[in-house]
Amino acid sequence: MLFGIINTVLIVSAISGILAFLLVIADLVFANYGECKITINDKKEVKVEGGDSLLSTLNENKIFLASACGGRGSCGFCRCKVTAGAGPILPTEKPFLSPQDIKDDFRLACQVKVKEDIKIEIPEDIFNIKKFKAKVSQIKDLTHDIKELHLQLLEPQEIDFKAGQYVQLQSNKYAKIKKSVSRAYSISSSPDKNKEIELIIRKVPDGICTTWVHEYLQEGEEVNFTGPFGDFYIRDSKADMIFIAGGSGKAPIKSMIEYLSKHKTERRMVYIFGARARKDLYYTEHFQNLEKQFPDFTYLPILSRPTAQCNWNGKCGYAPNYFDEFIKDPKNTEAYLCGSPGMIDAVEKGLKKKGVSSENIYYDKFA
Amino acid sequence: MELSSFIIFLAAIFTSNILLTNFLGMCSFLSVSKEIESSLGLGFAVVFVMTMTSALNYLVYHHILVPMNIVYLQYIIFILVIAAFVQLIEIIIERFSPLLYYSLGIFLPLITVNCAILGVSLFLIIRNYSFVQSVAYGAGSGLGWLLAILALAGIRQKVKEKFVPIGLRGAGLSLIITGIMALAFIGFSGVVIIQ
Amino acid sequence: MKETPQEKKIRQNLQESGISPQGFLGEDERHIHEIVATDLAVLERLGKTKEEIADRMEFFSQEAFSHYDGNVIIDQIYEIEYDTVRGKIPCPFDHPGLFRKGEITLNNLHKNLKISWTPLNIHMIRAHGFFEGKGAKHRLEPKDLIEILFK
Repeated sequence: MLFGIINTVLIVSAISGILAFLLVIADLVFANYGECKITINDKKEVKVEGGDSLLSTLNENKIFLASACGGRGSCGFCRCKVTAGAGPILPTEKPFLSPQDIKDDFRLACQVKVKEDIKIEIPEDIFNIKKFKAKVSQIKDLTHDIKELHLQLLEPQEIDFKAGQYVQLQSNKYAKIKKSVSRAYSISSSPDKNKEIELIIRKVPDGICTTWVHEYLQEGEEVNFTGPFGDFYIRDSKADMIFIAGGSGKAPIKSMIEYLSKHKTERRMVYIFGARARKDLYYTEHFQNLEKQFPDFTYLPILSRPTAQCNWNGKCGYAPNYFDEFIKDPKNTEAYLCGSPGMIDAVEKGLKKKGVSSENIYYDKFA
Repeated sequence: MELSSFIIFLAAIFTSNILLTNFLGMCSFLSVSKEIESSLGLGFAVVFVMTMTSALNYLVYHHILVPMNIVYLQYIIFILVIAAFVQLIEIIIERFSPLLYYSLGIFLPLITVNCAILGVSLFLIIRNYSFVQSVAYGAGSGLGWLLAILALAGIRQKVKEKFVPIGLRGAGLSLIITGIMALAFIGFSGVVIIQ
Repeated sequence: MKETPQEKKIRQNLQESGISPQGFLGEDERHIHEIVATDLAVLERLGKTKEEIADRMEFFSQEAFSHYDGNVIIDQIYEIEYDTVRGKIPCPFDHPGLFRKGEITLNNLHKNLKISWTPLNIHMIRAHGFFEGKGAKHRLEPKDLIEILFK
């Protein structure tokens, strides 16, 4: 009797044991991709543990591709050229790749799994992108819904960026939000200050990251961000410059103008800042002071919907209304725009009509 | 009378459809039959797993359980074999065919607990099938299940855009449709009887 | 009822803090397929398709996008206002692509009715027949929507 029970138990255990053993072996043999080699731009080689997505594998090795969706394959920002070892294109990638992209070996890094040696090509700038740890040294209210955030760098202690570029700030978990997200914000301080950066963050209704900044983040807390990203920065030339911004689009332009003020420029500049009402204006004094530091710089805040309470006796309307007055030499003018897509489209149309060539129009659409 | 494997195969698809006559595998049948595309994916995964596990479980039963005299443990052992097999296949597909993994892989975990698969393994023991007959029965049942879920998905996709009385929405209407389909399949029943 | 892995992921995306802090379901505890089916049935009864509605919303949204900032009035009936904010939001149904944030408010001056939506709502209606759960911030009641969108 006892023998029978033990015997049966042993047999069942043996069978389950064998099955478990088979699975463990399979896991070791098939799911273990071992050490893989990622060759970057035919120069740099990194040895990595296989099995994860290319995006997160690169992240672990301190190479940061832009990504807004956190690897779910819905933003398409992590597009990069993979010349060998990527495997077939998945249906999740197809919507982001044009036929030309596919011919050129472009893939979404978050969908490509590292299973063998891989060769990728990425722009050299990406090596400059780092992950930073910083302390919130100050939070300042600029308007009723815009805050200025000062981040003092802890690790690494210095950042090298071009005026106009952005960083991706990582939110912490708070209240019901159980996931950390990362969102892009332009740096508003000048690159000359490389131990601290400033961000201008407007509260987005229902925004996960902006709600965190506005309602939960405290001075003294530590935060993480990666950067710098983006190709919205000042081109080095002698041309006149027109800057146009709206809402929190002031950040990159502020960085640019502060940078220019330190590096003495003779270029003719005008900065048109569009807001709805007076309560949306900020940094007015700051820019009026800056006006004096340049030989030829005008700061022009305009309101599209001043109300009676605004008590506004400045300019009204939209930026394009003032092009005739301020663009003297359209062929020799560079335009830097930052704001909502609607604003950029309208302004771009206006600039082209005025005769500014489209190669000289640089912009950062809210994206 | 010894039935030929081919007859068993056909019968498993039409006359003794595992889903429409035994009503096995209802759970995933109802929940994944909203779109043709995903029901096709699940259907093929079922065909594959059913064929393979009926072969495996036949071997396990006749070469391990019977000699060792522990036939009464077949339920536990069959479930173990099915679960381990599904897991194994998932690992292998992920490694070698990312495309197949993308389309089938997500359905594999669902299949582990699909009772039609266990049902097939148990039926082939009860009916004393030979090895070849078992495989034919497994494959046929899988195809039959695929056929049934495809038919339901096709109908549901049409119904989706139409007005359905509130009380019947979702599972209610699907069960009625399944019932009518089962009635229709009775039409085949005179052709051959395997159970 | 059992869910496929995709459905599970979609449900998590739709719930609070998945993609938006408030989520898309509100207090609605029905299964997503039931929410969609109920709303589509209302459309059927009112004789409109989800595509017609999405097209109409798209039309007003485009008008709003192309006028930066200000209000636009169309046909002297519809007043559109668009409040842009920075950023884009992915589709909770895991469709590729990102949708602009911001709120479009349509005011039907004749009927004196107002409704607000986001660009993501248009996509969710067109592609998924999803008008959000009852009590969600941007729940668009199909009946009201039709009332306001069409003359």
